[in-house]
Amino acid sequence: MKRKINSIILNVVLILVGIITVYPFVWMVCSSFKQNSEIMALEQHLLPQVFTIDNYINMNERFNFLRFFANSLFVTIAITILVAYTSTICGFVLSKYKFKGRNLLFGFVLATMMIPWCVTIIPKYTMIQEFGWMDSYKALIIPAMFSGFGIFNMKQHIATLPDEILEAARIDGANEYYIFHRIVLPMAKNGIFSIAIFQFLWSWEDYLWPYLVINTKEKQLLAVGLKMFNGQYSTDYGALFAATAISIIPVLVIYLIFQKQFIAGIAASAVKG
Amino acid sequence: MKKKIVAMLLVVSLAVSGLVGCGSSTTTGTAGKTNVEVPTEPFGDTIKYDPVVEINDGKDITIELWEWGSDDLFQQVIDGYTAIHPNVTIKLVNNPWEDYWTKLPLSLNGQNGPAIFNVHNSYHENLINYMAPLEIPLEDLQADFTGVDAHVIDGEVYYIDYGMMTGTVYYNKEMWAAAGLTEEDIPKTWDEMREVAKKLTIKDGDRLIQAGLNFNDDFHQNYLLGLNYQLGTNLFLEDGRTPNVNSEAMKQVMQMLVDMYEVDGIGSKDFGEKGADSFGQGQSAMVIQWGHYYNTLQTTWSNIDFGVFEIPTFDENPYAYNRYNGESTFGVNKNAPADQQAVAQDFIKYFLANDEIQIEFNLAMSTFPAKKSLADNEKILENPSLAVLAEHIDRYIWPGSMPSTMETSLKKAGQDIFYNGVDIDTALNEAQENIIRDMENSTFTSVENLYAHAE
Repeated sequence: MKRKINSIILNVVLILVGIITVYPFVWMVCSSFKQNSEIMALEQHLLPQVFTIDNYINMNERFNFLRFFANSLFVTIAITILVAYTSTICGFVLSKYKFKGRNLLFGFVLATMMIPWCVTIIPKYTMIQEFGWMDSYKALIIPAMFSGFGIFNMKQHIATLPDEILEAARIDGANEYYIFHRIVLPMAKNGIFSIAIFQFLWSWEDYLWPYLVINTKEKQLLAVGLKMFNGQYSTDYGALFAATAISIIPVLVIYLIFQKQFIAGIAASAVKG
Repeated sequence: MKKKIVAMLLVVSLAVSGLVGCGSSTTTGTAGKTNVEVPTEPFGDTIKYDPVVEINDGKDITIELWEWGSDDLFQQVIDGYTAIHPNVTIKLVNNPWEDYWTKLPLSLNGQNGPAIFNVHNSYHENLINYMAPLEIPLEDLQADFTGVDAHVIDGEVYYIDYGMMTGTVYYNKEMWAAAGLTEEDIPKTWDEMREVAKKLTIKDGDRLIQAGLNFNDDFHQNYLLGLNYQLGTNLFLEDGRTPNVNSEAMKQVMQMLVDMYEVDGIGSKDFGEKGADSFGQGQSAMVIQWGHYYNTLQTTWSNIDFGVFEIPTFDENPYAYNRYNGESTFGVNKNAPADQQAVAQDFIKYFLANDEIQIEFNLAMSTFPAKKSLADNEKILENPSLAVLAEHIDRYIWPGSMPSTMETSLKKAGQDIFYNGVDIDTALNEAQENIIRDMENSTFTSVENLYAHAE
């Protein structure tokens, strides 16, 4: 009986927390079908009192939404794939190879996670200018190819894989390239998915760096486009909510597809093998 | 798994294209080129633009123009200019307001910054070292535009104002009529204003239902930093460096605000968190707001039937009516290649000489034209927030690009008075000390002495 009561209390608390977490999102989606005066009205209602799809229609007048969306998708997918690959290969080397300076190297990787982005952004900007990569996706993709968090996470994850399997493969004549691509990669699938989801989300949301390095409107990303709704004196909340509601669809879809692997990956990398 | 992924991707693409597809497929967000009538004769007042003169010897050239705000507005100028000079391509780069001020200085610091860029005078100190002086003779600028003298640095002008923005009173016409008020009741003095506000105030017992006047959240910008001029007192002492915010005039203005809420009861610090929003929400009958509010009412609060009148004064012949701030013309990047700078200079000349463009920019920003010949322009006077300024526009003062501490320190002083029970003298003295401390490293010098009617 006591267990049942505890379970009910826990579920009620979780439902409440869930509602509190989801409510702003639901409010935003509902508000994307309201007029600006209703969004700003003194008396607030969750559902639109006057339903309108004008925000979705007008949104395209402010910027080329589909173009920005496609640009974001391309850059995000490219970065995610590269980071997943580089993180896995670095994680493999750092966890399964024994060499002098390994821990120092790993410490260096960890240190990169502790430097605030605002410290590195100006030197990074100057370097990109010197390389002639301004207004090019090279400026977005290449500096993002390696992730300290990804390497750390994959090192932890790959460390849980039994060394015996790798030794057996070596005895059977497998080279390191084969071992990494045919054994480690499939076995680290859950960890890779969790890194991929994190990276996808971060890249999709990234605003300041793409804004700083991309000038051409046709190359601009969605996160930058969304910011255009914030004017000098006022914000077009309706159109902003409409654009944001659509922009989060890819993130939701990615999570829905990979949620099992994501949870398994996070759980596994939290346990040192 | 593969089927699941394919299905999900289909859902995404359908959802996105479906929702976005609601929009017009012809509008891509890129302002397209419009048909522009190409002038053949020189136009302008003193600053004349001759469309026959070639730029860059007729050779093809591309420059960038960076701005924030409306693409269409800027594209209109570009289309007009490139119709005259088809060899010039001007790439418009739109930016969000806030982060423009991070990206622009970074870019101007290098070799690849925009040749021409939109300027706001509040970022003067961040930008001035990257700007080339305008090549238009100073006397020509002075002949055509007001307020040029305030922008002269060592005999050079780097940008001027194309428009002047200031505060006016917005009133809710329905509430006005419901209180039995007519056009005849539009107040000219603060005493009349307070009486009108009392009539517009509705209470249920002690509970405020409708505020006659709401100045919450913006009293420092719209009252404290401006009404001092009505009493003949500047915001800075004669040296142009020492603030004067604990003056008798400032104390009188502050006392009036306190009395409006605490004696007259025409509003409350706890009623309508932001005056501007409260007016739009139909909670407050009057607010004093700057020109941009006219556009906000058109877009966000389109259901409010409003009227506008000029800010009241303490007596019939004030030293000045209020403070104004200028909307600035473009800046030219001094680090850009010489041929690009030449195009940028020519573009600015075209912008300043072209009356139609001046009118469009001023209407878009709800600013009163700085171009003297447009002061009585019909289109300008159709905008009620500009029409009410026309009679006394020469009686508004620009103190210069004041450091932000002027606003923040006075806001804190007001909050201390209203919320923390601090007396006016103490709060304003503290603000004065704060501002002096904050301005120690500032290069700002007031230009209040350049006011046309300075005593």
